[in-house]
Amino acid sequence: MSSIEIRFSGSGGQGLITAARILAGALTGEGRHVARSQSYEPVSRGGLSRSDLVVSDDGADFPLSTRLKYLLILDAAAANASDGLLDGDSEVLVDAELVPNPPTGDFRVYSLPFTDTARRLGNKRVANIVALGALAAQSGLIAPDVIRRAVEAASPKRFQRLNLEALEAGQQMIG
Amino acid sequence: MTRTMNMQGNQACALGAIEAGCRFFAGYPITPSSEVAEQMAAQLPKVGGTFIQMEDEIASMGAVIGASMGGLKAMTATSGPGFSLKQENIGYASGAEIPCVIVNVMRGGPSTGMPTRPSQGDIMQSRWGTHGDHPIIVLAPASVAEAYHETIRAFDLSERLRVPVIVLIDEVIGHLVETVDPGEAGQEHVARTFASGPAEGFKPYAITDDLVPPFPRPGDGYRSHTTGLTHSETGFPTQNPALAAAALNRITDKLVLHNDLIERWRVREADDADILIAAIGISARAAEAAVTKLRAEGIMAGLFRPVTLWPFPEGALLGVIDKAGAKALLVPEMNQGQMIREVERLVAGRLPVHGLNRIDGEAITPADIIARVREIAP
Amino acid sequence: MKDVTQTPDFDINGYIRLDQMPHFLCPGCGHGIALRALLWAIHDLGIEKDKLAVVSGIGCSGRLSAYIDANTFHTTHGRPLAFATGLALARPDLHVVVITGDGDSLAIGGNHLIHACRRNLNLTCMMLNNEIYGMTGGQVSPTTSADRFTTTTPAGNTEPGFDACRLAEAAGASFVGREVTLQVLALKDLLQRALEHDGFSFVEVISDCTEIYGRKNDLGASPEMMMSQKASMRPDAYRNTVDVPFRPNALATGILAKVDRPEYGQALRAANARQQPAGKG
Repeated sequence: MSSIEIRFSGSGGQGLITAARILAGALTGEGRHVARSQSYEPVSRGGLSRSDLVVSDDGADFPLSTRLKYLLILDAAAANASDGLLDGDSEVLVDAELVPNPPTGDFRVYSLPFTDTARRLGNKRVANIVALGALAAQSGLIAPDVIRRAVEAASPKRFQRLNLEALEAGQQMIG
Repeated sequence: MTRTMNMQGNQACALGAIEAGCRFFAGYPITPSSEVAEQMAAQLPKVGGTFIQMEDEIASMGAVIGASMGGLKAMTATSGPGFSLKQENIGYASGAEIPCVIVNVMRGGPSTGMPTRPSQGDIMQSRWGTHGDHPIIVLAPASVAEAYHETIRAFDLSERLRVPVIVLIDEVIGHLVETVDPGEAGQEHVARTFASGPAEGFKPYAITDDLVPPFPRPGDGYRSHTTGLTHSETGFPTQNPALAAAALNRITDKLVLHNDLIERWRVREADDADILIAAIGISARAAEAAVTKLRAEGIMAGLFRPVTLWPFPEGALLGVIDKAGAKALLVPEMNQGQMIREVERLVAGRLPVHGLNRIDGEAITPADIIARVREIAP
Repeated sequence: MKDVTQTPDFDINGYIRLDQMPHFLCPGCGHGIALRALLWAIHDLGIEKDKLAVVSGIGCSGRLSAYIDANTFHTTHGRPLAFATGLALARPDLHVVVITGDGDSLAIGGNHLIHACRRNLNLTCMMLNNEIYGMTGGQVSPTTSADRFTTTTPAGNTEPGFDACRLAEAAGASFVGREVTLQVLALKDLLQRALEHDGFSFVEVISDCTEIYGRKNDLGASPEMMMSQKASMRPDAYRNTVDVPFRPNALATGILAKVDRPEYGQALRAANARQQPAGKG
């Protein structure tokens, strides 16, 4: 019963924890067990921030990350913070604009325009949802319509359309 | 009908308490346990309960005991320094036999320590934090689901045995969100036995076969006296050596008599373990992963996990050691060696007991345990 | 005091635990007079003993709860107001009275006092001020008068004392009063008004510790101490103490503050009711 570890990382205020919570909820709805942990520091804005999911079929033995399958990096501050948790099987998705120097190693790195896409959609704060779309598509852990419903349900009414557009744009980055 | 949901450990303590029938919570903000209070503030009014944020940690413990004196199931939550401040009143609840539940989310110490970082540094404080010989029960859940169910059990034990019960979790479990099936809501749970029958000649601390006297609820006509002073069966202070010894022995003996209710432990691959790991909380979760990996490489490791930490399940541990014919014990804990003292005391030199300690604010990992087991493997 | 009602039918034996006699207070101690006045007020208000809860702390004052035939709770040092807050919120049907002392409520329990005053929960707090830690053998307290000798001020007290009533009023107590034990009828009447008050009521009773404090300072026996307290009464002293924070020889007595403020328990229950799901409760 192996588990899959996913990390959302960047700086505080980028919506990483929201994105992780949406994915966790969607996976749970599909019958998976998810353990979610996050950096817990005295400050709410700025500084290194992360949220981890350990996804399993019937509950992970150890609920914290030890070897990441998927790593998302949305800020240079987090560029190398997870290096010790990567191996040849890891897949790293970084924001092309904000992470000019992604980690290097024998893992695959995808540099994708999350922030730029969000800006084009009208609000760069939805970069987290663009990235969530890309991560969901890249991992294949969750069906597109399931994550779509989860984003819809988690969005305040006035952001619903924007968030769904952001999710779709992210999904389309993975071909 | 399953109610599976993603729940945080601190939230699980709050929701478990509500399910258990807790209707009063007094607390004071402190990292990393504040979410328990926040959840109770949101949930208690919905079920007709009362939440109050008191002026300090000591007051919140006092108010919880006061509410329980009035007959309500009551709880507080705290961490580190707050747990230290509550100790005098916890001793009062122990001595005066007022049911109450205290959630302690362990963080690093001493003093302010590392408030946002996990620790298991209160293993001894949870047992011996208040002064004098006293009965206390400490439950140590290792998952969010267990935090929910053990908080319910904490109330069941506290109300049944009239003893304070501490739910001891580390910051990792407190802030971890896991998928939990809480089961059906609105189950029957243990209700305190309130005194009934004639008030004339009623002895609030009578020594009965059960060793747990029925609780005289204010307003029910008993007009009894409750004190933190050592008291006789009448409830009034005594310094008569025979009466004092009988009263103090009774409150200790009641836990021994009802140990079947209290004791709980779990094992994994322990039956034939050469190396038995004894751990609680997040350290036990690391040990579970480590055991699987060690077995895969042919090392016969197993886990003994006290769910009831105090009274320590001593007979169970010795039984598991004997059955497996274990050759060594490993006690991983996020402190400089607290639970290991109890384990060493129990095995009394029959087999080597090794420690694995972290006090750097990081959880012990499966890799830490695997490396240590390889070092000590026979 | 005006409007004092003489009630000759009051018999203290109906309100105390006779099986706990003899009590342990020293001869001449003022606490017994305060206890009598309190029980008299309870009698005159018709408060049922079964519905009366008395919560006390530690010290000589703390021991009084054991003598009252009611639901009594002798708690930890300084904390009776915290225990009483939980009890009163859990059981709004009970009449909750706190008995405390100057050390219990102004030193170790000072934080609980000011927050109880602020919160305005329906409790009556009777503080027995004898200017000394009597139970522990006579150490200086937060109300010990200037220059007085105690076991921890062998050269005389150099710390200024609290004016407990001003403290309580400033912290928001909606009923504040003070009386000396010599005027037992006035004290009974003051306590009766405090018990009737809807909200937090604070009554300071100027008691006397003859055996320890009186002896150590050559203040005479109980009658002399009580007479000197009465002689010190100065109704205009309250609020006229800006230059000298505490002048124990200038005691203002009677009801010193009374305001109508929302009672905390009712306000909390109303707020809680608004959060209940519709159609329930």
